[in-house]
Amino acid sequence: MPVERTVTIINSEGLHARPSGALVSVANEFQSELRIRCGERSVNGRSILELITLGAGCGAELHLSAQGPDAEELLAALIRLVEAGFEG
Amino acid sequence: MSFWKQFRPKSCSVSLNSSDKTGVLTELVENMVKSSVLDKDLSEAALRTLREREDLASTGVGMGVAIPHVKLPGLSKVVCTLSVHKEGVEWRAIDGEPVGIFFTVLRPERAGEEHDPEAHLEMMSWVARLSREADFRRFALASTTKKELVDLLKEMSAV
Repeated sequence: MPVERTVTIINSEGLHARPSGALVSVANEFQSELRIRCGERSVNGRSILELITLGAGCGAELHLSAQGPDAEELLAALIRLVEAGFEG
Repeated sequence: MSFWKQFRPKSCSVSLNSSDKTGVLTELVENMVKSSVLDKDLSEAALRTLREREDLASTGVGMGVAIPHVKLPGLSKVVCTLSVHKEGVEWRAIDGEPVGIFFTVLRPERAGEEHDPEAHLEMMSWVARLSREADFRRFALASTTKKELVDLLKEMSAV
């Protein structure tokens, strides 16, 4: 079963290139599969391009879904990153 | 969607030829100035800001595409160009691949009559969707004129 969490984007710029890059860098430290959904659109959480296509602005909710041996840890790290406004 | 209308053929390029990051960024800014979409007085600041942005984290988003984009004080409306480097340049991209397709975006520091930050995020989302399309990348790299590049954006505006 995948582990799922929801987190709200708080940085004013939203999820564009640099935040997406930071997210992918964190995700790459873990092994679990990662999908991220915003609204109707769900993408591979390890691709900057895919993440930018979400067009997720400040206040948007990201639904994180991870499956694998370190899924819990991966999502905890991502939530810390998003809640720190990607400045972590 | 009509984001393609923001790209003027005259400021785009199918023949970038610098062999490194600084050279390419310089060409990109020069093309904007030559085609009068960017005021010459802002060119130095534009280049400096683009270089600082690259130092922060590479804008190479993978698949041979980079999206150099910055906010530029003094700018009143968004300037964007699509430029191609046929051989590709080392860009420290996330996937380590050389970059041949450059979407460059300069935007005003603040929201204003001619700049809507929400629309900007939508445009970046469109640029990313386009960039994922193998057909788009193939045709962009094969384009021989600037007009062909912008025609391609128009053709794929519904992606």
